[in-house]
Order: sequence, then C-alpha cells, then structure tokens
Amino acid sequence: MSTMDPTEVFRQEASELFEVLEGALLDLGQRPDDRELVDSAFRALHTIKGSGAMFGFDKVASFTHEFETAFDRVRKGEIKPTQELISVALAAKDYIRALIEDPQSTDDVIGEAILDDLRRFVFPDQPAAAVVEVAAAPPLAPSGSKQAGWHLYLEFESHILRNGSNPLDLLDDLCKLGPCFVVPITDGVPFLDELEPDDCYLKWDVKLHAACDKDAIDDVFMFVQDEMKLTLSPLEQVDAPAPMPLFQLLDEEPAPVAEMPAPAVQVAAAPVAAALATPPAAKVEPKPVSKPEPKPEAKRDDRGIATVRVQAERLDELMDRVGELVIAQARLTQLASSGSDLSIKMIAEEIERLASSLRDTTMGARMVPIGSLFGRFRRLIHDLSRDLSKPVEFVTAGEDTELDKTMIECLADPLVHLIRNAIDHGIEDTATRSANGKTEQGRIELSAVHSGAQVLVTVKDNGGGLNTARIRAKAEEQGLIAAGAVLTDHEIHQFLFHPGFSTAQTISALSGRGVGMDVVKRTIENMRGTIDLSTRPGQGTTVTLRLPLTLAIIEGLLIRVGEGRYIIPLSAVEECVELTAEEERSRSRNFLNMRGNLVPFLRLRDILSVDGSPDQHQKTIIISTGETQVGLVADAIIGNHQTVIKSLSKLHSDVTIFSGATILGDGTAALILDVAQLVALAQSKVEKHISEAA
Amino acid sequence: MNEHQADQMQVVMIGLGDEKFALDAGLVREIIDPVPVTKVAGARAFVPSVINVRGNVIPLADLRIRFGMPQTDDSADSRIVVIEIEIDGEPVLVGVTADKVYEVTEISQADVQQTPRVGMHWKPEYIRFITKWREEFVIVPNMERILN
Repeated sequence: MSTMDPTEVFRQEASELFEVLEGALLDLGQRPDDRELVDSAFRALHTIKGSGAMFGFDKVASFTHEFETAFDRVRKGEIKPTQELISVALAAKDYIRALIEDPQSTDDVIGEAILDDLRRFVFPDQPAAAVVEVAAAPPLAPSGSKQAGWHLYLEFESHILRNGSNPLDLLDDLCKLGPCFVVPITDGVPFLDELEPDDCYLKWDVKLHAACDKDAIDDVFMFVQDEMKLTLSPLEQVDAPAPMPLFQLLDEEPAPVAEMPAPAVQVAAAPVAAALATPPAAKVEPKPVSKPEPKPEAKRDDRGIATVRVQAERLDELMDRVGELVIAQARLTQLASSGSDLSIKMIAEEIERLASSLRDTTMGARMVPIGSLFGRFRRLIHDLSRDLSKPVEFVTAGEDTELDKTMIECLADPLVHLIRNAIDHGIEDTATRSANGKTEQGRIELSAVHSGAQVLVTVKDNGGGLNTARIRAKAEEQGLIAAGAVLTDHEIHQFLFHPGFSTAQTISALSGRGVGMDVVKRTIENMRGTIDLSTRPGQGTTVTLRLPLTLAIIEGLLIRVGEGRYIIPLSAVEECVELTAEEERSRSRNFLNMRGNLVPFLRLRDILSVDGSPDQHQKTIIISTGETQVGLVADAIIGNHQTVIKSLSKLHSDVTIFSGATILGDGTAALILDVAQLVALAQSKVEKHISEAA
Repeated sequence: MNEHQADQMQVVMIGLGDEKFALDAGLVREIIDPVPVTKVAGARAFVPSVINVRGNVIPLADLRIRFGMPQTDDSADSRIVVIEIEIDGEPVLVGVTADKVYEVTEISQADVQQTPRVGMHWKPEYIRFITKWREEFVIVPNMERILN
C-alpha cells in the first residue's frame, strides 16, 4: 500500500474545489440572483481556507480568508454579483490556485492588488484605503481598542469523543496560551439512565487572558473545527485582573469534569447567554462563528453517495486482469461447448455471466461524467469572448454522459482547439452578425450524447460557417490539390486536418498557425474515434467527435477470411447480407445495391492478400462511419466476440488497416480491422473508379 | 576474475538454417514451443505475424529474412525465443523463431573475429560481431538494428 502525501491529497481536493468555485462563479455571472450558487461558491472557498490552514498553506488560508470576507457581502445579499466582480473573483481564484500549485511563482503584490479590486467592488461605499487597513489587521481585532484577551464559547458535536479527540486536551492546550478561566456548561447533560457514556454533553465557556492572535486559538482547534462550534469575542480590558484567583480556586485541572457530569455551575448560564446574545464586537470579519455549518451542505453536494478515491493505476490494473479473465473465460466456454459434460457447460455459462458483469462493473468504475471536462471550457469561453470582444453564449448539454476516464483526459486538448476555432474563426464579430440579421451574441453549444456503443461529442457554433472557397484556394496554393480538380465540399473540408494548414489571414495568439486541427484529428483517431465536420454557410459549423465508450474492451463481430479470423467492431456494423451470385461475379463493378442505395464494397480477401479460392457464399458486412457506408466481403461470419483490445507493437505501426489485436477463445491472436481506414480505402477506390470512368 | 568476466558474455545459442546465432541472454525473456501464428497483412517481411504469449499479442520476427536465408518448416526442434528490446526508447517484446535452441552458454569476446568486409552476403549493420564457439563461428546479431 502506498501512502499518499497529505499535501498531494490537499492539492487534489483543492483542484476539485476550484472547479466547483469556478463553475459557481461563472454561473453567477448569468444568474446573479441564484442563492444556491453563492452558497456553493462560499462553501468551496471555506473548505479551501480550512484545509489550506490545516496543511500549512498559510498564505492560501489568509488570502482565501480575505476573499471570503469580501464575498460574504454577496452572500448576505448586500451587493449584487456584477460581471466585473465575477472577473475579479475569478482572478482571485486563479491566484489561490497558483499559491497552492506553485507558491514560488506568486507575488504578494499581485494578491494585494486583487484583494484591493475585490474590496472596491464589495465595499463601494468605503474608500479603498480605509478598507485595506481594516481588513489587513488581524481579523476580529477591533482596530484601536486594546486587546486584553478572548472570550470563547466551545460546543463540540456529541460524537467528538468517538473520533479520539479529547476536548480536555484542547482546553489544556488553550491554557498554554495564557491564564484561562474555564467554566463547563452542563445544561446538556441528561439523566443518568439516558446518558450515553461515549457522548460529549458538556460545553465550555472560556475566558482567555492573553493578548494572542485569533490564529493561535484557531490552531488549537484546527483538527476539530468541523466538529465544533467556536465563538470568539474579544475581552474587555476590565475583565483582565479578575480571573486569576478564581481560576486557581476552582481547579487547576478541569479534566475530571468531562468524565462524569459535574455539579452544575450556576455562574455559567449568565456569561454564556451574554456571549451568545451579544453579537461579536467587530463586524469586519462577519463570519467568526458557525464553522460546522458548511459541512452538511457540502455532503449533500456529493449527492449523498459515499465515494472512495482510488489511484488510477489500480483501476487500470484491475481492467487488465478483467481482460485476461474474459479471454480465459472465452477459452473455457469453447472447451465446454466442444465436450458433452453438462455440468461443465453450466459452470462455463455461469462464469461467462459473471465475467461479463464483472467487466461491465469494472468499466463502469472507470467511467466519469464528461461534465467535469465541460466545466473547464466555460472559463476558456468567458476569457476568449472578453479578449476578442465577441459576446458568446455557452450552452452545454449531456454533462452526465459517461466516458472512460483516460478518454476524458485525452479529450481536453482537442476540445480546447475546437472551441477556440469556433470563437476565433466561427463566430463573426458583432458588426458582421448584426449586418447579417443575427443576434449580436454568438452561441457555442457543447454537447455529449450516447449513441449505441459510441459517444458523440459535438461542438456547434452559429457563426459564419466554413469558407469552402478559401480552404480550396489555400489547398491549391499549398500544392495539396491541382487547380481545377473536382472535389466535393466534404473532401475540401478534410484539408483542414492537414498538418500546417491554416486559412487565417493573420496569426493571432489564439489561432492561425495551422497547428491544431491535425493534432485534434490524430488524438481522436488514437482513441479510435472519428471526426465529422458539417457546415452551413452563414449558419455555423458543427464538429462531431465520435468516440468509443471505452478503450479496453469492445463488442466485436468475428469473421473469417481465408484461414484467418478478424474482428470488426460491432459498433460500426450496420447489417450483414449475402453477396448475390451476380455481384459475386462482376469483378469490375464494386457496388452493392442496398435498397436502392449504391454501397461500395471491398473484398477482404484482396485487401488481406489471401490465397486460394473464396468460399461459395460470400457474406457482406455493411459498416459505416458517419454517413458513409461500405461493404466488406468476407468468407464467413462466425459471431459475436467480447474483444479485449491489445495494441499492436511498434514493429507493426506501419500497418494501418488494423487498429489492434485480440486473443480468441482458442488462444490464437486475431486482428481488429480499422473501420475508418477501410472506409477511406473504399472511398479512394470509388474515386479512382469514377475518375477512370470519366 | 573481473577481467575474465568482462570478456565473457552470457548468450542463448540458437540455430537458424546452417548458421548459429548467439542472442545476448540479458535480452531473452523466455523460450516457448511454437504457437499458432496470425499473419499480419501488409506488415514488413521480417515481422510477418503476431502471436499470443501469456495474454500479450507480440510480433514474431523471422531473422532468416534479414539474413537472406531460405524458409524452413517447423520441426520438433523449433522454438520461439521471446526477447525484449528497445524500439524508440520503449521496451517491446518480440518473438524470434529458431530452428533449434542449443543452450545457454558463455562466449568470449576475446575470440572476436573481425567481421570480414568481403565474402559476406549479410548487411554488416545487422551483426554486432562474429566469434568462435567450440571451433564454430557464431554470429552475435544486433537485434535493435535488425528490428528497426
């Protein structure tokens, strides 16, 4: 078992909180009145502050504290979250992130500047300088008045003892800060027969006569702050001399009281009531109390489901094992079906069922909703639309769609490229838009949806669409096509995926260097996915990424060509038909008549260079990518196969028609046909055929 | 002692056609009986197929192609030697067919023969050196070069 660095755990936790915070802030920009959003931003801030302090990120804690203080006015509804305020809040969030991730690179001056901005928005009625002074002073210390000590009211949650925390030790620690006058409050102690010995019923009222800062007190309760209520208020100077004798008079060790309910101390009621009734003296730090309050709400945010953090490598390992199990199970099934022992057949079936549900569960454990990824782009769009002065409405759909976690990670970069392109090239500037009778605000839609064994991720803009003529001109200029060659729009658009191809007339910081779309394409193809581009002049462009659900195991169709067996991903298979004798004979015409549609077909025997004569009744498997259909002619269709994908080694990286290999029930390896490559091959053949005919 | 060890090299001696090849024992992962092979259409001739070795699909290389030797059918002595080499900085398992595996032995680098420039129909880059073992010439192939 590896132990995790607690700081690392904090960083991970913080990065999730940042996502929540960012999401809430951005949403707040659109729905300023949504209390839920304000609360969730506030909760995230609060947790960052709390755990930051706990793990020794003092700068994070103090900065976040200031941030929180300012934001509290929003929470109280005293000011509205304006766009400007949100922008500053986002900058503040980035600063905290920098403080956590790379504290060396940050500069306190920047932090101060951000806080100044924040205060300007939050306390518009006060001159900035004054605010700075107050806020920079230790929180809760009323500037000017002499600090003589603190009045604390402590109330622990009843289960505190069960966690191994001992309030008495904490009180001892508190006593080390200076002379304390501790009064236990026993109101909560029940009758003996109702008393749970493990529960803590006592509360304490403490007068600490020491001019220490609030932080010192917070440090004492650092580890239990979520399980207690701590009310702090500064003591008046007058109280100072009194407690010493009293403290000694009562008991030096307040320890025994907790074990058994002590005789009620009458004195207690009054000071506590006073402490509770009197609001904290200084209003600068409006949130001195109620530490535990965010906790239950945060829990509800987790949808009430217990979750466990697991290292990704362990999941990968588990997946590998399951893959091997599926292969072993396939062999068992084959063995059992060839024998006549009924009981072995039953066991084989049982194991098959178990293995497939184990496979599904394991794959499910690796699935992550794509929403976590979408969240990141809202910030990107927010910033881009500001930098380019193109107002853009960002709409997402299908955040719940689940994808293998490794795919989510791989998807981030391609989507960034696509979204940048959509804003930079797709959406026109405001003047053009209104001239064309469109709304000034552009719209970008990012959506994900399950479609069979695939996930479709779509980036759709309502901009000007692709400029086919310009792409064509550029392709001719770069010598990719001969001038005047006959090409469909679809083919012309494919040049966008050509390395180094860019039609942008000016190179901006965002795009125009021609690096991007080819990378996008390569990344998607590495995931065994495909890209569809569709565009309507003046109405916008839609880029659809078709991705397999998982990278590890697919449903496959096992076929035989000659002696060899091959797998076709079932997700690509549309239907299987028998090749008619007439189609069989015609060597020149490679088209099938599928209910009136002409579908080109490829003879796999030719492509896989199989010798010998074909089987009598050739079968055609119709596969499709996007709108294109292609038939593959095989000797026989064997059936379904749970395909555990093994990648081919580098020695075979030059072979493109196979996307990988798998292991069949009898232990031999079988190759998986790469559907996209076969379709491309068929299309090029069709074009050759057409150009020869013409 | 040290000097002696520096000269010695542990190898797995295999036979291919009429020649003997000495594979650095440090590369060898295991030696297995022949298994059904799966032809990879369109692959380069010296890695014509893949095999399943303990759940991994690995390429099967045929050194005979690289050394211009005629194909022979599998015999009772045929084996597959699984070696691990680096290709583009990544370790890759590769199976190598052998007509016969003799033994694990030590060869002395002190007996290294100058690779003759003439009279050899093999590409010199595929050969690390030629040495003598029990009065026979053996080839120590440069597997990284052969497979890249």
